[in-house]
Amino acid sequence: FMFSCHDDLDQSPIDPDSFTEEDVFVNASEARSALAKLYASLALTGQQGPAGNPDITEIDEGFSQFSRMLFNLNELTTDHAVVGWGDAGLPDLHGLYWSAGNDFTGAMYLRLAQEVSFCNSFIDNASQLTDPEVASYIAEARFLRAFAYYNLIDFYANVPLATQISTELPSQSDRPELFNFVETELLEIQDDLPSSNEYGRVDQVAAWALLSRLYLNAEVWIGTPRYTDCVTYSNNVINSGYSINTNDVNGNGTAYDELFLADNNTNGAQDEFIFTLNFDGVQSQTYGGSTFLVHAAIGGSMDASLFGVNGGWGGNRTTSALVEKFEMGTIDIDELNNDLGGTLSNWGLVGDATENAWDGPDMEMYETSPNQYSLYANLTAGDFKFRFDEDWGNNYGDNELDGSLEAGGGNIPIPADGPYLITLDLDNLTYSITEVTASGDMRAMFYTDGQNLEIESIGQFSDGYAITKFKNVTSTGGPGNDSNGEFVDTDLPVIRLAEIYLNYAEATLRGGGGDTGLAVDKINELRTRAYGGPSGNITSSDLTLDFVLDERSRELYWEGQRRTDLIRYDYFTSGNYLWPWKGNQPNGTSVGSFRNIFPIPTNSISTNPNLQQNPGY
Amino acid sequence: TVTDESSLPLPGVNVIIKGTSTGTATDFDGNYQIKANSGDIIVFSYLGYITQEITYNGQTTINISLAEDAAQLDEVVLIGYGGVKKEDLTGSVDLIKSDDFNQGPVVSAQQLISGKVAGVSITSSSGAPGEGQEIRIRGNGSLSLNNNPLIVVDGFPLDNGAVGGSRNPLNQINPNDIEAMTVLKDASATAIYGSRAANGVIIITTKKGKDSEFKFSVNTSTTVHTAVDYVDVLNGDEYRQVINNHPNADAQTLSLLGNANTDWQDEIYNTAFGQDHSISARGNAFGIPMRASVGYTDHDGILRRDNFKRTTASLNLTPSLLDDHLKFEINARGNYSENFFANRGAIGAANTFDPTQPVYSNDPQIVSQFGGYNGWYNPISAIDPSTGLPVLSQINLATVNPVAQLNLVDDVSEVRRFIGNAKVDYKLHFFPDLTATVNVGLDKSHGTGRTITSQQMPTSLLADSWEIWNGSRSTYSNTSTNKLFDAYLTYNKSINETHNITAVAGYSYQSFEYDNYSYDSEAEERDIRNPDTDIDFEFIDKSKNVLLSYFGRLNYDYKGKYLLTASLRADASSKLNPDDRWGYFPSAALAWNISKEPFLESASFINDLKLRVGYGEIGNVNGLGDYLFLTRYTRSNSSANYQFGNTFYQTYRPDPINEELRWEVGNTINLGLDYAFFNSRVFGSINLYKKKTENLIAFSSIDPFTNFGSSIDRNIGDMENRGVEIALNVIPIQTDDIEWSINYNIAFNENEVVRLPFNQEVGGISGGVGNNIQLHTEGESPSSFYVLQQVYDANGNPIEGAFVDRNGDNIINDSDKYLYKDPYADVIMGLNTNLNYKKWDLAVVTRANIGNYAYNNVASGNSYRDGAIPTSNDFLWNLHSEYLNSGFTDQSDERNFMSSHWVQDASFFKIDNITLGYTLDKAIKDVIVRLYGSIQNVATFTEYDGLDPEIPGGIDNGFYPRPRSFVFGINLDF
Repeated sequence: FMFSCHDDLDQSPIDPDSFTEEDVFVNASEARSALAKLYASLALTGQQGPAGNPDITEIDEGFSQFSRMLFNLNELTTDHAVVGWGDAGLPDLHGLYWSAGNDFTGAMYLRLAQEVSFCNSFIDNASQLTDPEVASYIAEARFLRAFAYYNLIDFYANVPLATQISTELPSQSDRPELFNFVETELLEIQDDLPSSNEYGRVDQVAAWALLSRLYLNAEVWIGTPRYTDCVTYSNNVINSGYSINTNDVNGNGTAYDELFLADNNTNGAQDEFIFTLNFDGVQSQTYGGSTFLVHAAIGGSMDASLFGVNGGWGGNRTTSALVEKFEMGTIDIDELNNDLGGTLSNWGLVGDATENAWDGPDMEMYETSPNQYSLYANLTAGDFKFRFDEDWGNNYGDNELDGSLEAGGGNIPIPADGPYLITLDLDNLTYSITEVTASGDMRAMFYTDGQNLEIESIGQFSDGYAITKFKNVTSTGGPGNDSNGEFVDTDLPVIRLAEIYLNYAEATLRGGGGDTGLAVDKINELRTRAYGGPSGNITSSDLTLDFVLDERSRELYWEGQRRTDLIRYDYFTSGNYLWPWKGNQPNGTSVGSFRNIFPIPTNSISTNPNLQQNPGY
Repeated sequence: TVTDESSLPLPGVNVIIKGTSTGTATDFDGNYQIKANSGDIIVFSYLGYITQEITYNGQTTINISLAEDAAQLDEVVLIGYGGVKKEDLTGSVDLIKSDDFNQGPVVSAQQLISGKVAGVSITSSSGAPGEGQEIRIRGNGSLSLNNNPLIVVDGFPLDNGAVGGSRNPLNQINPNDIEAMTVLKDASATAIYGSRAANGVIIITTKKGKDSEFKFSVNTSTTVHTAVDYVDVLNGDEYRQVINNHPNADAQTLSLLGNANTDWQDEIYNTAFGQDHSISARGNAFGIPMRASVGYTDHDGILRRDNFKRTTASLNLTPSLLDDHLKFEINARGNYSENFFANRGAIGAANTFDPTQPVYSNDPQIVSQFGGYNGWYNPISAIDPSTGLPVLSQINLATVNPVAQLNLVDDVSEVRRFIGNAKVDYKLHFFPDLTATVNVGLDKSHGTGRTITSQQMPTSLLADSWEIWNGSRSTYSNTSTNKLFDAYLTYNKSINETHNITAVAGYSYQSFEYDNYSYDSEAEERDIRNPDTDIDFEFIDKSKNVLLSYFGRLNYDYKGKYLLTASLRADASSKLNPDDRWGYFPSAALAWNISKEPFLESASFINDLKLRVGYGEIGNVNGLGDYLFLTRYTRSNSSANYQFGNTFYQTYRPDPINEELRWEVGNTINLGLDYAFFNSRVFGSINLYKKKTENLIAFSSIDPFTNFGSSIDRNIGDMENRGVEIALNVIPIQTDDIEWSINYNIAFNENEVVRLPFNQEVGGISGGVGNNIQLHTEGESPSSFYVLQQVYDANGNPIEGAFVDRNGDNIINDSDKYLYKDPYADVIMGLNTNLNYKKWDLAVVTRANIGNYAYNNVASGNSYRDGAIPTSNDFLWNLHSEYLNSGFTDQSDERNFMSSHWVQDASFFKIDNITLGYTLDKAIKDVIVRLYGSIQNVATFTEYDGLDPEIPGGIDNGFYPRPRSFVFGINLDF
């Protein structure tokens, strides 16, 4: 009896949710779930959505999500963003005064190192499987490991290079070594990766795109310019099957905003996405990711329901430096009405959304054809009705808010202040309300009502324009999958084709031997989409390095690349370029150049005596 | 005259005429006088002596010599796998018998000895009925592992986790069944229990049958619980004034203000009632001594809808056969409890919900969707066809109506637990010095529960389309099974009454199996489960661990003067790597009964004087997760899947692994002195101890490139607990009519993390996201508060945002934090007194903690003006009245939460209990009736600003307040 009890000491997991390596790597179909984790660890934060079983325990789980940290480290530190929250260590980021113990810089290190460990273990275990699709799994895992190291080079420069799981403490590597590793890996796997893959998984083009990025930054990171290679691999991407999305599903004049809507995995935007992080309001929940980008940007007088969510977190805004990079179009209401070509009629708009509220005189509409009326008008948030001859005897409203009118019907709401095109069809008793956006660069997606352009106090949401780029509504105006509006469906592109166009242009300008004409064409492709036509197009004489940098801002703001871009231009820490509250000064100031690299977390240094802190910290 | 066997007079002997209440007591010279009739039986009784009965037949003088009751003087104290005579104890052990237990509405066993034992702190974790208690013996010895003592009931060591749905594992024992509790404090005493005893042991002995005619005992009591005080938040008028003068208040904000004056705390608390009944019978049935009891308890909580009901039944049989060579002890205890857990979210919400809003609203849409509970709602772009109005949605981040939270969530559970063991002692016929014992036991708990959130709950998820408001419903079921098999031999030999030897050697097997299951039944109930996308609604959590031990102990004494105890236990736990799983834990203790030395024999005022010294080592893995040395994968739940193509896949994550985990080992040295003077009218003990825990298991950082996580439980540090405990009992008056006893105990304890390579932030607070307020760091108490040093103005008021720049870099950030105080009391005292005057009895229990600090999160989280108006301007948030003093404004500056200002001295003196009883022995023939009234949580004296200074863990937030309880009860014995 006693000896059988001794055997009882050898317990192994009996929980059906807990597996051993043998269970996971029993076949390719099970291993796919382990592969899914390699992607998910960049999109989600643990095994329970939205929180509860975290991958990283050192920081609040929502904070530990990769793209949220990418925003914090690469956008919040720049002219693109400020945040009003005072979480310990967070204000340090825009102020460029973080210390080695900063929770946010520390957590990103842990997230990326963990991704390396996950990939190392996966590659090791999966290589014992013989199923044919496993070769692609392994190549994808190697891509993700290379992507993690790409970020580690960018953020921390001097980190250990670990390619296997081992309890032995790794030694420290430097940028040339790490650069060489990432480059070699990507070159090796480019042919193991499929030429195209299912949505959400990377293919060959992703390897080329990451090489394009890597080579673009080579001069800064390893001191050797590799612009020619950047041009080569950017060209590979440009000539691949990916294309810029031009599908303006919601008909607002540009196909740019479709890239950041709840259905961006199906509305056409996916054709442009080379590497995405996938979210779903029901099945892939996190407090980071697009849920963060949408909620955190809503505050003040913004109506959260227009963004498809149940409320704002009142945090993120931008500085005037970003706003001023855009050519803002203007809306000339009179000219628009002139262009309607109709004649003023006795049908008009009345209500507190109109200029004279419920008292009139009403805003008269133009009759464009018999029984068809239209009017461009600046309206305020409120209600209105259609009325004939300023007399309630003949009026129309909408009882069910279904677009069909009833005589004497209910008030029709206008959700927010702004210019609108209102139409009235008396034949069919229908009407329409269309928000009019300014011509000009429609990538400028700012919310200005009640917001000050300049920031007096970073803690005040009303200081700095808010950004409306990310939404949880579909391109047809429908809601996201989470009917409570808490979690967002919108996928986040980590690499998309537009960036590669800009890489190509910049590498060409930096002597990479590309075709300037092609560069101009490609940038004009982006600007044509942005302006809804050729009005913003440039010529080769406009194409300068600073123009490309500004164009990157306009095209890619809040997508996690700004700090890296500024460092490439030596604008990040130097006095060559200042923005509001850079260095914690209202007008901006330079800071020590050691801040081009983040510190290695204090805890990691204490756990591994082989590591030396980056200079300056 | 009544004398003892050596003809010394015995004072205070009870002399009673049997069957009457006529009686007296002997005076200081042992003399007495009593009136009696011929044929009366006179009964002489005195504690510690055998009661004698004499039939009176006309004598004028009856001189009696009472014999010492060996059984009582040589009272046996259980020390695990056997017992020793009290005078032969070598370790630091306290015995509290039922006579000394706390009175009043005691629902769980720990409360019986709260405040009674030096160095033992018992803190209820909240004011909810039947709620658990945190028991700490000599402070906290571990960081990652749990610090709960081992509780042994009738030789059966209980599992110290609570099964899901249970409020407190010790609820399972009816306090009326408990005969005595023994607290083993130092390692030389606990070492025999091995690794489960790292935090001390409490041995509970239940009442057993007696070899006599049946006696019955009935206890019944009724309790009224009342709230003592409310959190001081702004009332409606004060709040209106704040908002009207608020610089951030625009017209939209002002329009949100209501006209009501709602005291939300008044809405969620009420006066609650409780009742306790128990009946027991003990005696000899069919030649077998037995005891049986049933008990019923039903208490409401002061938080509305909170309720705890419990039915217990127990049976003890202690038959013996073969001339007492074969003894059985069979214990079976069953328990059924039903809980209604009131939604405690209402407690915090009542502090922050705008007091200008009424509880209910007549708005037709609010009535339609939310049952009329007023709240912060926004219309969404859909119309409710039943009302024709826009559908409303609870505003993100706004407080949910506290009354709705209470009324719209039904959280109920039922827990069944069976604890049974059978112990057989066989004294060998051919070798009676040797006894073989086998003890087998089973502790099985099964809890089931359901949480149903009404579809009217404001936060209910809006289903696929707005027409269907879900509510939610989840079901869980948890089973824990703990099996025990002990077998040991005891050798008992006395050689010429000079060398006395007791040796024990044995083997123990324990297994712990957990099977937890939960089920989200909502989707299935609504029949919308899609087998393709809805992967899994069930969550299963199972684990098992096994503990295997060999142990041996030797007790030796020379003439009762010099005593030696030595033990060795080998433990193996399945939680550890096979190569490292065995731990060997020795102990040794010496004691010297100085009072038995010839040179003290003449000092007749000394009844007992014993010096003890002991050392022991104990391993610990209590509370450590299972299988941590294996690579395991955890799959994701259905909301953390990942999309490839159009399919969502579950993900498998490798979990952090530690192949090098080994035993955390505590080494304790204890120096003690037991004393009793003046006919034992003054007695007690003094202990000095130092416990060093080595290879401390702490959750700490690792190189993230070498593992799958960034922190794991690993053996990394050392901790030290030092202290002095003094217990003093005095019986100042002991006369015929009056007996007055006083018990005073004081313990000084210091916890220090001696070695810890990495600091660990702990102690999450409410305010900001992911903020911690405490730190484990070398050279300090664990969980020391880690804060920014507040700057005060000349009047002593805090200056907002002004902190001492401790590192002088002109930036106030994390680097300026410092360690300021800790939540553990430096001094814990108990002062109790019992006074019996004729038929009256009075007991008062008081306690004091000195030097414990608490972080007042209730005030810190809600005392900033700007917090009253969130940035989205669409709802309001009440403030704590602290704002009226501090005038703090900036809620977004999270440094304010880190201010030392909120770490406040929570030292206290509490009168826990006053009980007054009166015994009627004539009212009913052959029945002794005792009536009593009791007040629990009578008064608290403290400088602390929050509701209650006694906060487990030191972070005061959302604490369910302890009620003041008034009890009236009747005990009947017949």
